[in-house]
Amino acid sequence: MDSTTESVKKEAAGSGNNNSESKDENKKDDQMFECNICLDTARDAVVSMCGHLFCWPCLHQWLETRPNRQVCPVCKAAISKDKVVPLYGRGSTKQEDPREKVPPRPAGQRTEPEPGTSFPGFGFGDNGFHMSFGIGAFPLGFFTSTLNFGDSRPSAAPRGTQQHMEEQFLSKIFLWLAIIFIAWLMMA
Amino acid sequence: MAQNVNPFYAEQAGSTKQNDESRKSSNDSHAVTKRLHKELMTLMMTQDKSISAFPDGENLFRWIGTIMGPKDTVYETLKFKLSFQFPNSYPYTAPVVKFVTPCFHPNVDTSGNICLDILKDKWSALYDVRTILLSIQALLGEPNVDSPLNALAAEKWQKQEEYRKHVLDTYREA
Repeated sequence: MDSTTESVKKEAAGSGNNNSESKDENKKDDQMFECNICLDTARDAVVSMCGHLFCWPCLHQWLETRPNRQVCPVCKAAISKDKVVPLYGRGSTKQEDPREKVPPRPAGQRTEPEPGTSFPGFGFGDNGFHMSFGIGAFPLGFFTSTLNFGDSRPSAAPRGTQQHMEEQFLSKIFLWLAIIFIAWLMMA
Repeated sequence: MAQNVNPFYAEQAGSTKQNDESRKSSNDSHAVTKRLHKELMTLMMTQDKSISAFPDGENLFRWIGTIMGPKDTVYETLKFKLSFQFPNSYPYTAPVVKFVTPCFHPNVDTSGNICLDILKDKWSALYDVRTILLSIQALLGEPNVDSPLNALAAEKWQKQEEYRKHVLDTYREA
């Protein structure tokens, strides 16, 4: 084997190495844009606040699968639908938010959280717990609030007069009536 | 395994409703198959000789994996076989992983069930066969003796020589 062929061979080997190196780099670059869930190149890409890339359909399904524990699959930071940023590349013609198009949900995929397992937030709203309390009679309230137009409330009578005494007496009676009524409500 | 029905055969079977259903489920399972293929590729490329996994026969939803016992533990030099059963909802839900080789360990019961948080409530869609195998390998050397499935193993863990004997006895039964 003479020296020239050897050098050619070396060169070829060298360029081959270069090629494979650049290939590896390309591969790495490609992997940088792979969805962390399907491991494929991210489509309808979104990025979480913690910086992790997903396809929106993949992330959506992940969030749907566990509605009461919405964490980033990579770093377990708290995430939510509103806290991901859609990515628009130059190539994408439609600048629509990928979050707008919810992927068709497979029926029966959503599982109810088991009661009592994890209970984050202690929000009453989560349980559908509502409580309301009120006293009222619809037409009366309506009349008093809307139908006494024109006449403004009469100003309080001057102190010391007969009318003032009467007004004080009446208001005391009404106060006691209200207290008795409320007490009766409590007892009933 | 309806999810593995080839749409072509389903069409031949007739009944449009059945056809629709099989198409829908095959769409669903398509993403799963794709991901499992990718995982298989990365596993075959990996240089790590202490773990391996391969589909069990034709069915891509059943795999057999092997791990070597970690160095400097009582499990050193032992090779354990595990079975993987992937649900249709993979990777959103964890696969069912069991020891096929009998394993004496505080967190493995006699039927091979494994108590490992990442296979239960700590599961993440990011985990794959490789990370599961690595986690189980790590679990061998660092058992959680506070919530044991195998109380005897948890008890013996402190006495490593006795423990090793139990491990070998259980292993030989295979």
